[in-house]
Order: sequence, then C-alpha cells, then structure tokens
Amino acid sequence: MERFVVSLPPPSTILEEVTDPVELAAAGAQREQFDRNWRWFQDHAAAIFRDYRGKHLCIAGEELFAADMTDEAVERARQAHPDDAGWFVWYVPLKKMPRIYANRW
Amino acid sequence: MRIDGDWALCDDGVIRPVVRGEVEAADGSWRAAPFLVDLGADCTVLAHDVLRSLGFSTTGQQNLGGIGGTTDARVLDTRVRLLRDDGSRVTFRGKYAALMSPEAGDLSVLGRDILGHFAVIADQPGGVVCLIRGRHRYTIEPC
Repeated sequence: MERFVVSLPPPSTILEEVTDPVELAAAGAQREQFDRNWRWFQDHAAAIFRDYRGKHLCIAGEELFAADMTDEAVERARQAHPDDAGWFVWYVPLKKMPRIYANRW
Repeated sequence: MRIDGDWALCDDGVIRPVVRGEVEAADGSWRAAPFLVDLGADCTVLAHDVLRSLGFSTTGQQNLGGIGGTTDARVLDTRVRLLRDDGSRVTFRGKYAALMSPEAGDLSVLGRDILGHFAVIADQPGGVVCLIRGRHRYTIEPC
C-alpha cells in the first residue's frame, strides 16, 4: 500500500525544558497534591456530577468546595487548605449533552 | 520524552483522554489543570473557570468556532507545563485562548499547537493516554 506523507508546519507553541532545580522541586510538591485531589475527585465524580449541576467547583485537600461563582469556590478552598498548591477548578455544566470540543481560531 | 495521561470520567458519564498539567498565572505561580487531549482542536483553549483562577486582565479577543457555532474567547500570553515520566517538566509558551462562558466548555483543551510536538496515543481499550517524542517511539504490530 502506498503511504502518503504530508509535510506539516511546526506547532505554534515554543517547547522549553525546565532545568531550574527550585522550580522542579516546587512543581513536584504541587503535583503530589494535585494527584491526591485528582484521585479523590475521580473517585467521587459520579456523585459530584449528579449533585452539583451548574456549580463551579474547587477541589483542595481532597475536599469539594462548590459555589455559584469560580472565585467564591476558590476562596473557600484556599481558606480551608492554604498549603495545598494542587487545587484545581471544574465547572459542572447545567445539562448533560454530547460534546464536540474541536475549536478553531 | 514521554508524558502520561489518564482516562477521566466527565459530567456526562463519558470517559475522555486527559493530560494533567499546570498553567502559569499572572503572578508567576502555577495553577493545576486537567486538559482534554483533542487532536481535532487547532489550538489549546482554557476553560472559563481556569481563566478566572489565573488572575489575568485579558486583552485580545477572538472567536472560537466549533460544530455548534462560535463563542467568545480572550487570548492569554502564558505557559502550559506538563510532567514528564522521568519527573522533569516541559513548558509550552504561546498565545492561548480562554473561554468567556463556563457553559462554552467545562474542560480545558490541549490542541494541536501543543500536541503537534508529539505522537499522541489515546488507547481506550488499553487504558493508555500518552504523548511521546524524541527518543520515545511507538510500534504497531499484529497480535
């Protein structure tokens, strides 16, 4: 079978390796906390998505903070877990629907 | 270079390929964020809630087009940072779109402006999500 090879332009982002040991250490600590929060979130995801439609979530300290606004959820999470740098936000859409994520400028 | 991801449960009960990373905030700190691995997306797009958490005063405006039409977005000059399998990190500097409405997209999207640096493996039966380049290679063989 003939194989067609297309010449593509390089990606528009600039890839850089992180070499600063201080940044790498901080990133490692943050990732450990992110891993814990992510595992907790995925373990509870089905119930969270069922109970928090239309809410803005912040997960920190393996705990859920839900609010009507992102800033409020983050503020409550940061107050409860000021040492957790691995917090993250997630919005639960009001309605369940199939999603096409493809985007174009 | 190898970057591993997960298959993650989303709000509609669908499992999607996700790579977790960080986005650089306005104050130089980093915010943890999951990204959908989407080879159909021309560009990386940050979800509205991630944008809110970064503290940028957004400037440039863009429209993002998808199957359902267009949506408002802002453009940020920032970096995305991903974890390599050896524990080191790699960053991607660029201009990224960020959604202005939470309903426009619940998950940030890793598009081809970043994924184009890699060979992308999203193997749902095998439970593998992986970005590879450089000395990491893949082979396809009959079993």
